[in-house]
Amino acid sequence: MTSRVYVALRVKATPERAFAVFTQEIGAWWRPSRLFQTTPRAPGVLAFEPGEGGRFTETLEGGKVFEIGRVMAWEPPDRLVFSWRQATFPVDLHTEVEVRFEAVGEETRVSVEHRGFDQTPADSAARHGFPDHALLARLAEFWQTQLRSVGGAVA
Amino acid sequence: MADWRPKLISAVVYRDPKAALKFLEAAFGFELFMLLEDAEGNLVHSEMRFGDAAVMVGYEWSDEYKSPASIGGKVTQSIHIGVDADVDAHCERARAAGMEILAEPETQFYGDRTYRCRDPEGHIWTVSQNVEAVSREAAEAASGLKITGWI
Repeated sequence: MTSRVYVALRVKATPERAFAVFTQEIGAWWRPSRLFQTTPRAPGVLAFEPGEGGRFTETLEGGKVFEIGRVMAWEPPDRLVFSWRQATFPVDLHTEVEVRFEAVGEETRVSVEHRGFDQTPADSAARHGFPDHALLARLAEFWQTQLRSVGGAVA
Repeated sequence: MADWRPKLISAVVYRDPKAALKFLEAAFGFELFMLLEDAEGNLVHSEMRFGDAAVMVGYEWSDEYKSPASIGGKVTQSIHIGVDADVDAHCERARAAGMEILAEPETQFYGDRTYRCRDPEGHIWTVSQNVEAVSREAAEAASGLKITGWI
């Protein structure tokens, strides 16, 4: 088993639009967080390469590219799965994020499930000294912020 | 679901909160908004939303927090749900999902049509829809009660 953080939000768009904005406009709607920073440097611009196996990258100021993860499932407009690795993670730690887009009437319910984040070691900088429950609660808040931003971007 | 959080949220305690999440979705159409699970798959925290309201569905995390199923089926609070339309259909959905209907839908003297039900762990829920406008005087006459704060 692995820990799960699940958050969801309805956005005013079709699943097609929500999937497209999530994947193609992430560079614009992403809200960097100091708690869950992908690299210790100034936040860069995030991007997905479409399709399974595509890279999920952050291009830093100066042009250096950090690979946050890889696309593990690319199923527009329903589902997207990618791996998630922060620069401060131990080398063998990969966590996984699943995003689902479900039509609910004229809206789309976008949910994010981030699995395995509790595996960050107790002394990892990615954990900030938080015990598991606090860490997972903060991670949920982090993704809620991202979903709210997606909601604004699709409108 | 917009960017909001209700200022008043009830936290409902279950022995099997993950089953409760599924049950409340099936019975009432509550929508899972947030769920935290630890590495063993235990629920740590969850929130469900219904319209512009929300409940937290939790576990027996301390000796003070118990499901009715752990204390002889007693409750000290119940949650009231308001629906805009077709409370009878709402009741049938709840019944089909496994709610025990304690009181069938009935129109009350104050103009609401309500039903009351009990979920598998013993929490009691009431559900109502306003179906007619009743004046304070009419409600007092019908009930024999002195009523303050009637809108």
